[in-house]
Amino acid sequence: MTTALHKKALRDLRRRLPQVAAIGATVMLGVLLFVASYDSFRNVQASYDRTYDRTHFADLTVTGGDSDTIAAAVHDAAGVERIATRTQADRPMAIGATKLVGRVVGMPTANGRGINEIDLIAGRLPDPARPDEVVVERHTADTFDLAAGKQIRVFDDTAWRDVTVSGVVQSPEYLWPARNRQDLLGDPHAFAVVFAPESLARTLSARTTPNQALVEMAGSATQSDRDRVTSLLRSAGAMNIEDRGDQPSNAALRQNFNGFRVMAVGFPAMFLSAAAIAEYLLLTRLIYTERPIIGTLLALGARRHAVVRHYVWYGGVVATVAALAGVLIGGVATSLYTKAYASLLKLPDTVIVHRIPTAAIGFALGLATGVIAGLIPAIAAARIAPAEAMRGDGVRPIRIGPVTRASARWTLIPVVFRMALRSLTRSRRRTVATMVGGVLALVLILASTSMLTSVRAMVDTEFDQVQRQDATVLVAPGANDVDAQLQSLPGVAVVEPAAIARVTVVVNGHPYPTSLTGLEPATVMHGFRNPDGASRSLPAGGVLAGAALANKLGVRVGDDLTVVPSTGPARSIHLAGLVDEPLGTALYSTNATARSITNAESNGYLLRFGNGADRDRVRATASGFSGVVAYTDNRAVENQLRSYLVIFWVFAGATLVLGALLAFTVIYVTMTINLAERTGELATLRATGAPIRRLTATVAIENIAVTLLAVPIGLAAGVGAGWLFLRSFNNDLFSLHLSVGASALTLAAIAVTAAAAVSQLPAARLIKRIDVAKVVRERSQ
Amino acid sequence: MTKHTRGGVRLRGVSKTYGEGAAAVPALRGVDLDIRAGEFAAILGPSGSGKTTLLNVIGGIESADCGTAVVAGHDISGCRPRDLGEFRRLHVGFVFQFFNLISTLTAYENVQVVMELTGRGDSRRVPDLLAAVGLSDRDAHFPAQLSGGEQQRVSIARALATDPDLLLADEPAGALDVATGRRVLELLQQTSRATGCGVIMVTHNEATAEVADHVVRMRDGAIVSTDRNSSPADAATLRW
Repeated sequence: MTTALHKKALRDLRRRLPQVAAIGATVMLGVLLFVASYDSFRNVQASYDRTYDRTHFADLTVTGGDSDTIAAAVHDAAGVERIATRTQADRPMAIGATKLVGRVVGMPTANGRGINEIDLIAGRLPDPARPDEVVVERHTADTFDLAAGKQIRVFDDTAWRDVTVSGVVQSPEYLWPARNRQDLLGDPHAFAVVFAPESLARTLSARTTPNQALVEMAGSATQSDRDRVTSLLRSAGAMNIEDRGDQPSNAALRQNFNGFRVMAVGFPAMFLSAAAIAEYLLLTRLIYTERPIIGTLLALGARRHAVVRHYVWYGGVVATVAALAGVLIGGVATSLYTKAYASLLKLPDTVIVHRIPTAAIGFALGLATGVIAGLIPAIAAARIAPAEAMRGDGVRPIRIGPVTRASARWTLIPVVFRMALRSLTRSRRRTVATMVGGVLALVLILASTSMLTSVRAMVDTEFDQVQRQDATVLVAPGANDVDAQLQSLPGVAVVEPAAIARVTVVVNGHPYPTSLTGLEPATVMHGFRNPDGASRSLPAGGVLAGAALANKLGVRVGDDLTVVPSTGPARSIHLAGLVDEPLGTALYSTNATARSITNAESNGYLLRFGNGADRDRVRATASGFSGVVAYTDNRAVENQLRSYLVIFWVFAGATLVLGALLAFTVIYVTMTINLAERTGELATLRATGAPIRRLTATVAIENIAVTLLAVPIGLAAGVGAGWLFLRSFNNDLFSLHLSVGASALTLAAIAVTAAAAVSQLPAARLIKRIDVAKVVRERSQ
Repeated sequence: MTKHTRGGVRLRGVSKTYGEGAAAVPALRGVDLDIRAGEFAAILGPSGSGKTTLLNVIGGIESADCGTAVVAGHDISGCRPRDLGEFRRLHVGFVFQFFNLISTLTAYENVQVVMELTGRGDSRRVPDLLAAVGLSDRDAHFPAQLSGGEQQRVSIARALATDPDLLLADEPAGALDVATGRRVLELLQQTSRATGCGVIMVTHNEATAEVADHVVRMRDGAIVSTDRNSSPADAATLRW
């Protein structure tokens, strides 16, 4: 483009600086969000991968069967990089006054090297010369304030043994401290991980042989290599083969950040759409006012493609500047966000990379937004008839539609309202575009609001309706008098026996490790809800299972499931029903049924507290009872869940703020453009003495009416968008249902309408500032 | 387009109707017209007589429904819009009653921009064009800083930017006071005489038509008379 046209475009843009700035900011935010969220997502993924590569994180963790035989079976298999066997067992532990079920993990090598390598972060590794030494996992050390020299007691099935902490380590298996896939979120005081030399681990686990085999595949291994190895492992007697993706810590972390991938595309798309609409409106308005000029230029022989190029340039220049800013600020945000995420989760490796393809795509998206949004009005401009040059004021006759015709007879309605009503049909495209702006604003607000409200509802449902117990106490076999002791504890209102066991459900050869909880037939400690939301009770026979099991294993109510307890033979049990639970996919039955499956007595109690119970005192006293091996406070679990969701809250909260800003921006731009189209009319009315307040009211009525028309569509679209976003989080570990109350919908509608109302303030100022003489003079020429 | 002679206008049986059916409004009814190359012609008539439509057909802004129109040596009857654009670019300049200047560009840039958009003309000629319309000292002024007459003079300079064979002016003095209007007519007359560029001016003012070599009178879409003016008035002395 050459000089004079450049100057015209730049001066035009400067004259509309507030709108241009608002559009630019919206494009910039869209690009920024895309670059920051997508690159952060990739960085977090790369950070995990670096840790996993460096520490040789196992691709397959095999339990059940003879681990040495299993390891030997794949020793020479193609694609296998490393193999190790070790002992791992969940044991009752006592750390200070706290009793819990912790995990003892054997170290196949003295220096912790091999597979699932550990990083020493304080103290030293166990001294081979001192057989009672262990190292503790970082979260355990933090929770219990453990350091070198501290003592831990571990129950080895016969007696409590003291071990000494020699150091603190970080393990790729416990970047998120999860006991298993079904307990991703637990009471931090109810779980501890201790790494012990293999010989000590066997002693503490009362085993003579390892019970776990770890396999690391080579980077070059093909899928067929992996399938072959899995097949060999099964043939060698492997009971459960856990893929890296199902490893509890990894699964929890990936669940946590996977949502960003959806947001990295969805939210920027909304911002860019909003920017495109605002820019389309701005250019349409500009071209509308320049119709006589365009007509003149075309009459003088201006090439149509030159006209198109000129108006596309407007969008292009705004989008280019904004997209560049978005890429640059997005780069900074990527670094900050990745650092914050890594620091919050204390990741051992942090990868911060600014990817050129991400920046290029972000820039291209921003630029495309500007160019495409500019193209439609630009083409329309090039199609303007040269005869438009004959029209001095650029005013075109309005379309007399049925509403306009009918409203002419509504003489009881003040003319101000009739004017506003007719204006809705005066430029249908503008009205629709303004409505789309309002709809997008509502979508953004509701998509983030619905995530916040739905996750909050999920937490409330889990801890108010599903898990109704206040604490869970696990006891050693034969500890029969604990029941009475718990009943007599001050603050404890109800005590129920429970059988809690790890089991594996097998259907058509596909195993699914989960937990089985046996409860009293008329339990008050757990609420069961059918997938349709109706309450139900425990069946006398058979088991209830989390609804996700149906999809995961392809089972239906009435089918028989094979349930394999951790010890003892497999049992066939009838699936009596499916239950809808926010967290996990577990099995439930009566205590009697559970005992028949596990072949063991009930091993726990669920407690319900009375009002004013001193939770810490109950924990301390109950933990002191002989026979109690673990105590879990449900409020601590709830707090852990809330802390797990912190990143989610922050992201959704930030999006909500951005959504509200976007709502205001879009509405502001559309409203001011709307007003600009009426400058001549308003100036004429002012010239006739109409008060500014009255004129502002007229414009406000129309603009707010358009917004109100958009509200129902926006609410429906926003709820739909929220549902789509939530769906991306759902799997067998999390079941999120859309929960947007009437209050959230009302508030969103009020927020958008308020944004429309607030955007009338600058509009009112514009009306006040109209140079009546100038406008009237110009239009009379 | 078939090339005949350079310059001049020859219309035969040109008709144009707006709307359809009961709402049809005939704007031109079988107009025959000859205007010689380099001639200053005035089309005179009351509102609704069809004079602006006639100007649009001559300038290739609108196509006639029937008849032939040979303008500046080119038969533009039935031309596609793209060809009409090319025709205007090469042969025609327009001056409108409403100046339609770009408010964000200076007088100089308003002339320059046409050269850029049409790909015709040399921007080094802009100072000469502005000098020719008496605006050398106002080249850096924006339209808002110019009087109505000055703005119309800029629009004349703009119309001449592509060095047209024919300058079409639609009520060029219609929005101006008498003194300023006279100055604009004077400029058109000078342009015609100095450059040999034909000028066709539409006006409803009998007095302003006195400056023309050829006066065409219209009523109800038809030409009612055409008169050659052997001694056209000097625009500088014109009174109305």
